[in-house]
Amino acid sequence: MNGAFEKDCLEILAAKAERGEISRRRFTQLAAVVAAGAPLALRAGAARAADKQLVMVNWGGDAIKAYDAAYGQPFFKETGIVVKQDGTGPTEGAITAQFKSGKPTWDLVDADPFSAISLGKQGMIEPIDYKIVDKSKMRPGFGWDYAASTYFFSYIIVYDAQKFGASPPKGMADFFDVKTFPGKRSLYKWGAGMWEAALLADGVARDKLYPLDLKRAHDKIAALKPDIVSFWGGGAESQQVMLSGDASMALIWSTRASILDRDSKGQIKFIWDQGLISPGALAVIKNNPGGTEAAMRFIASTSDPQKQLIMFQMLGQGPANPATDALIPSDQRKFNPVDPENFKKQIALDMPWYSENYGAALDAYTKVISA
Amino acid sequence: MRAWRAALAPFPAAEAADRLGASAASPGSVHILGVDRAKWAALLFVAPLLLFLIVVYVVPFVGVAAWSVTLPSPGLGQYQRLAGDPLVASVFLRTLRVCATVTALSVAAAYAIAYVWVRGTRWQRRLTELCILIPFWISVLTRAFGWLAVLSNRGLLNTWLEAAGLIDGPLQLAHNGFGVVVGMTHMLIPFAAFPLASAMRAVDERVLLAARGLGASRLRIFWQVFLPMTRSGVIGAAVILFVFSLGFFITPAILGGGRSVMASELVYLRMFQSPDWGFGAAISVALVVVVGVLLGSLYRYAKPALLGEGGR
Repeated sequence: MNGAFEKDCLEILAAKAERGEISRRRFTQLAAVVAAGAPLALRAGAARAADKQLVMVNWGGDAIKAYDAAYGQPFFKETGIVVKQDGTGPTEGAITAQFKSGKPTWDLVDADPFSAISLGKQGMIEPIDYKIVDKSKMRPGFGWDYAASTYFFSYIIVYDAQKFGASPPKGMADFFDVKTFPGKRSLYKWGAGMWEAALLADGVARDKLYPLDLKRAHDKIAALKPDIVSFWGGGAESQQVMLSGDASMALIWSTRASILDRDSKGQIKFIWDQGLISPGALAVIKNNPGGTEAAMRFIASTSDPQKQLIMFQMLGQGPANPATDALIPSDQRKFNPVDPENFKKQIALDMPWYSENYGAALDAYTKVISA
Repeated sequence: MRAWRAALAPFPAAEAADRLGASAASPGSVHILGVDRAKWAALLFVAPLLLFLIVVYVVPFVGVAAWSVTLPSPGLGQYQRLAGDPLVASVFLRTLRVCATVTALSVAAAYAIAYVWVRGTRWQRRLTELCILIPFWISVLTRAFGWLAVLSNRGLLNTWLEAAGLIDGPLQLAHNGFGVVVGMTHMLIPFAAFPLASAMRAVDERVLLAARGLGASRLRIFWQVFLPMTRSGVIGAAVILFVFSLGFFITPAILGGGRSVMASELVYLRMFQSPDWGFGAAISVALVVVVGVLLGSLYRYAKPALLGEGGR
């Protein structure tokens, strides 16, 4: 009895942990059980391994595969730190719950920058360490105190080309004009981007949008309501409502619009005009288990254009680093929301405004749409 | 407790007490701390379940209830907001209305299905069983999107109706209250079919034969003998379905087109999307109170069915 079997168990476990089949923390737990009598050195090794893990929480589905392929695996090769992907969906409430538990199990969250900003002001998010994370590799205006820009998507108009192919819509005014463009519409259930669309349609100049005149936006949306077939809550729903012909026009995420454009064989098309650019970001939960520095180093690693290219190819996300734009093959540039050609037609959502006002605005919006 | 006693009912009380190893001094009698010994025994059997429910349900719920009076500041402020919030009132009314409709439809449909399942020919029984169980095993999401494929403008139903020349333009069948009711009813039917079938199996065939022998028509046997004998099964199924349907989240969210916001989604909104835990907690507590009051008033009628005393 010299612990050979236990050692072998540990080796199997360690190999699994290396390959990411089990998490490092689970590894330590199992190791502690197996190695109750194992040599001290072995246990110390296991404990050290436990430090080398980050849990990154995103919105699930294909994102898990993409984040792992683009960022997780290369980061592991460079640093030996395993990055586990968790698709739970880091809503503001879920992040709050993590922090308030006192022992968060999450390190990095793929959060809306405005959520990160508002949670950061409440002391739940680590400030981004711009000594480690290179701000110059981000588009100007998209590096915040508590969130680092990692990708972009837009709320854009998709339309039924069978109906409007001859004279496609040119902007939000056309989207809200059901006389010239008859048919049903679909809008986003959680408000973001929809207020701006309504105000642009109502004639507000693009540089005069913020602070948003919510009353005016809600009146515009309420007037359109008889022609709104649905308020979609997730990407799959937004695709479905167009493919099924339930809506002839919808405001949806550009990532989904690209898929529709490719898969519908020209039946559904999109425009970038007056699209609303929404930044995605990574944030680090305060007192994260994997350590702040490791998390910041991971964020820094995501600015590599080659890695961002993988994210664009797998998910259609617009790259945070402007250097990536040129790497995208020219026939695919029309799908990049932040390609200079597309960027100039659009307007970026004002994250500081959202961090202050989103909760109350969403409340009022819910009242309008469910009345 | 009643079920336990009912199980003993066929025996004379003294004999029952005897079987429990008690002296037969007075009927059903040994008391410990003033409580019937049989009840203590019953409690012992139920205790693990009670403990489990307390740990996983009551304790967390007390925590949620505590948020409703402490976040963001102590007091009943969230309940004042709740009472004055027209959104909450309209969502609650819609939830109760939709759930009552869905419950009635599901129980009616499940009754017919369970009838065939229990009393049909061998093949009818097999086929019904498959038709109940197969959808039951398919995920909620898949079924919701499946209904969209059937009900949407270019969906199966509208395409067929248009091809048959019955309608000119597509009917609006999804993304509204109708779609929600269809989807939820489909989800809930198996949950009513199981208790209804067990209530129907408990019906003594001889009673039906007796009614037949006395010259009652088949319709009359159904209305005056069979239905009353399964009545508590119907009420029990209705109560289970109603409570269950109140918590529905995905189905209404997908088939309702985002406009038919239901209570559980409102709680989600306040807990996750625009976090205001105090208000979300107050909505949860209010929902539990509303359900509790409704169930409390129905309990007397539903109790026999819920406790498995069947229709006897």
